[in-house]
Amino acid sequence: MRLIEGKIGMMFRTLKTALAVLGATLLAATASAQDTIKIGVTQPLTGAFAASGNYVTQGAKIAEEQINAAGGVLGKKIQLIVEDNKSNPTEAVSTAEKLITREKVPVMLGAWSSTLTLAVMPKLEEYKVPMLVETSSSGKITTSGNPFIFRISPTSEMEAKAFSPLFKKMNIKKADFLATNNDFGLGASKEFSAAAKAAGVQVGVMETMDPKATDFSAQLAKIKASGSDTLFVTTAVEQITLILKQAKDQQVKARIITTGGSNSPDQLIQQAGDAANDSYHLVFFTPWFPEAVKNPDIAKRFVSLWNEKKYHVGGLTEGFRGWDGIYTITAAIKAAGKAEPEAIRKALWNVKVKGINGDIAFIKQGPAGKESAQNVPSVYLVKIAGGKVTRQ
Amino acid sequence: MKRGLTLAWLLFLASVPLWLDNLYILHVLIMTGIFVIAAMSLNLLLGYTGQLSLGHVAFFGIGAYVSSLTTLGFSVHLLPDWQVSADPKPVWFGMLLGTVVAGLFGWAIGRLAFKVRGAYFVIVTISFAEVIRLVALNWVELTQGPMALNNIPYLRLGIPEVFEVAFLRKPANYYLVLAVGILCYIIIRRLVKSRAGRAMIALRENEPLASSVGVDVTRYLVLATVVSAAMAGAAGTLYAHYVRIVDPDVFLFIYTVTMVIMVISGGKGTLAGPVVGGIIFGLLPEVLRSARVPPEMQWVVYGVLMILVVYFLPQGIVPAVRDWWLSRRAADAPDVPAEATTKAASR
Amino acid sequence: MDQFLQHVLNALILGGTYALLGIGLTLIFGIMRVVNFAHGELYAFGAYMMYLWVMVLGTNFYLALPLAVLLGVMLGALMEFVLLRKMRGADIDTTMLIMIGAWIALQNTQQLTWTGVAKSIDSPFPTSPLVLGSVSVSWNRLFVFIVALALIGATYVIINRTRLGKAMRATFQDRDTAALMGVDINRIYTATFALGSGLAAAAGALLGPVFVVYPTMGDLASLKAFAIVILGGLGSIPGATIGGFILAFMEELGAGYVSSGYRDAMGFLLIIIILLVKPTGLFAQKERIG
Repeated sequence: MRLIEGKIGMMFRTLKTALAVLGATLLAATASAQDTIKIGVTQPLTGAFAASGNYVTQGAKIAEEQINAAGGVLGKKIQLIVEDNKSNPTEAVSTAEKLITREKVPVMLGAWSSTLTLAVMPKLEEYKVPMLVETSSSGKITTSGNPFIFRISPTSEMEAKAFSPLFKKMNIKKADFLATNNDFGLGASKEFSAAAKAAGVQVGVMETMDPKATDFSAQLAKIKASGSDTLFVTTAVEQITLILKQAKDQQVKARIITTGGSNSPDQLIQQAGDAANDSYHLVFFTPWFPEAVKNPDIAKRFVSLWNEKKYHVGGLTEGFRGWDGIYTITAAIKAAGKAEPEAIRKALWNVKVKGINGDIAFIKQGPAGKESAQNVPSVYLVKIAGGKVTRQ
Repeated sequence: MKRGLTLAWLLFLASVPLWLDNLYILHVLIMTGIFVIAAMSLNLLLGYTGQLSLGHVAFFGIGAYVSSLTTLGFSVHLLPDWQVSADPKPVWFGMLLGTVVAGLFGWAIGRLAFKVRGAYFVIVTISFAEVIRLVALNWVELTQGPMALNNIPYLRLGIPEVFEVAFLRKPANYYLVLAVGILCYIIIRRLVKSRAGRAMIALRENEPLASSVGVDVTRYLVLATVVSAAMAGAAGTLYAHYVRIVDPDVFLFIYTVTMVIMVISGGKGTLAGPVVGGIIFGLLPEVLRSARVPPEMQWVVYGVLMILVVYFLPQGIVPAVRDWWLSRRAADAPDVPAEATTKAASR
Repeated sequence: MDQFLQHVLNALILGGTYALLGIGLTLIFGIMRVVNFAHGELYAFGAYMMYLWVMVLGTNFYLALPLAVLLGVMLGALMEFVLLRKMRGADIDTTMLIMIGAWIALQNTQQLTWTGVAKSIDSPFPTSPLVLGSVSVSWNRLFVFIVALALIGATYVIINRTRLGKAMRATFQDRDTAALMGVDINRIYTATFALGSGLAAAAGALLGPVFVVYPTMGDLASLKAFAIVILGGLGSIPGATIGGFILAFMEELGAGYVSSGYRDAMGFLLIIIILLVKPTGLFAQKERIG
């Protein structure tokens, strides 16, 4: 009995400490100084999309350092408040709540995947805070009538449209589709198959896979049997690695083209080896030949800063989004002349920023009166040949 | 005295939005409240009938999906040329329907529970939740699959254009969750204090004996699962119209685990247990988060705490505190036989 | 026809590792009555240990494999000793909760240690596959299949031909009598848990180089192992072996001819149907509900 009493006593002490910490956080929230301009960042730092979310955050932090080294904006330094949305929509809502109501950020960057961004969107309307979307590809984000959304990444539709002329050029006659079973994969499959049909290309099988799956033998056997000349793959880099390897094991003859840009050819070469050769990849940034992009100076600077930090080379194709996002937001704050949500929202509509991906400016999308903003980014096709990324 | 304590506790909970001006903490409290309701419903099964359902999140998710789809409207092809569609209905109706449908699924699982017990029941319930998750993920036409149902309307009550309460802001949602929570608490309390409740406890303690004295095993198990599932469904509808997005991740196993931790740490088979456990484990992530503990470490803490609770407080916090309280009173009054309290404490 | 043959070959290869996972789980349940939710974590642990030996320390591939399995065996023994020894006689729900706690703690420790970025392990096998007429299979997978069959065979020998196995079988049939006859129950339990964990770690160490290694890889492995064990009947080793192959065929053919989106649902649907129709599983000799 004494033993139990001891335990209870200990438990109460723990509880007391916990309450003290909770109280301290309550107080801390009210006592933060206003000598910087805060920018809220919600990214998946853990969970399924952890790798990508961390790369984007690293890119954003490089931009933060550069901007502050150059004197900040409106005479103040910018400060990124990064919250982890744990790759989970409910947590994404919590991070938005926290950033807006507790940190009082006037503008946000986020939230990587479309589902996470969609989860945050009602909160933007509720608190009237704009958010710059850096990665999400679902068309729904800009067409559902949320005037607080500013997207710099391309939609699947835009990507498919950009690819359209290549159907003929690459002599594609029949195409199969293999996509991860989420908004990103299914959206891309839908748009690319529609574009294929419009270009007179026969559509073979359309397969899906669980985002966590590692064995695609069944899907690949089916694709092999369909006898098409090209296979479009949309998923994250880990699954692409496995698909390339397993396609080789099963002697799938079709040429593989990956879409979505959330892919790192460097990592593929490293991890898939031989199997990566002769595959094509649609990317939104080409760090291998920064001179190919529209603003080569900025791209080169970003690549050298990234390498200076010794960040993972495979993260460059994700990291640039964070940089572009923060530079766009800062430009809007500067144009607005004050760090207030509504002023920044208005200013974002007129920004013209030289970004790594190209020149960033927004066009209207969605229902009249409640339009969201969409940038028209550049899309590049690269090929892996002989263990190297080559220009197409 | 006990009644006074309950009343004071209620008054305190009701006063929170009046003095707490930090909306983020209020948001955390609302989410905690929703999970407390789910934990209470799980406790009815786990604590009172002794059936460990590890698919409980399925009912939560079914409630969320049914309510969202009812209020958003849908149109699906059940056969290539047979289309079923529904126009958007009011939110209160959706919430009611979500609760009822979750209860119906509970009925099916309750019937199943009669056939399989123990480890088998656990695995059946996990599989059930996983199949439902995969359906929600793959039946894109109905559920939008991974694209998630978004722009879910919030609840409005009253007469349109005359007097209406909109449950959009946090204080309103807080009171809604609190009201539903109190209602669920009262229902569970009445249920377990009734004849049916005594029968359930008899089942948990000694099933052959209970059925030999004429307790209708199936009936009470089914009753418990239906009520439990409907409550979890109600919590799901609250979630859907508060967060206003539902995606297949609501069926993740980790949510069930969170509910189970809340129930066993608080004290399974006690009325206050899931409330206490729910509040602790609902607020703990925020405490750890503001203490800059990385989320993985937070989960390690969860896992270790769970093992420690099972080891050292197998009955949970509430019974342990009660026993400790009783034993202190016994120590103050030496004429109470010490043996009785020792037994209670070391149970 | 070619497609069908390829599916059959794929399923056969996949079935070997599924069986390996299932046997480990069913062994632990049959003898100890513990539903081991941490089983998938041992699988992930085996894969990460393989990564540690091969990619970090640069050990020879064929030497790294037994080392990874050995570490899995040791972790299993440790877990049994720390977590379960004091819980003898506790009901099945209690030990299940402990194993769920262990699963969460282990998985997140792995995430903390290795980060969320997937790792790949180099293997010494040629990259061009073995071609058999119209179908093909990679050398690495063939190796995995052969080793898996060998390990399954070895498990049968241990259970049926050794003194330890005899004691295990006696414990399985009647723990109290076995204890009365002088069997050291604690030793048997630790050995059982270590053996089951070793098999899971072996599956992870074998498949790590075929796929990629990431912290949550154990979840799917656990769920599949449960499906296999239910299919074969809790506690039945031949059942788990055949169950592994049945699940592999269902998944492969289901994905090939029905819908690939529901590939991973096959196992769960199977569980529900089996439990409704024949709750003891297909191959259990004894009534084991309770």
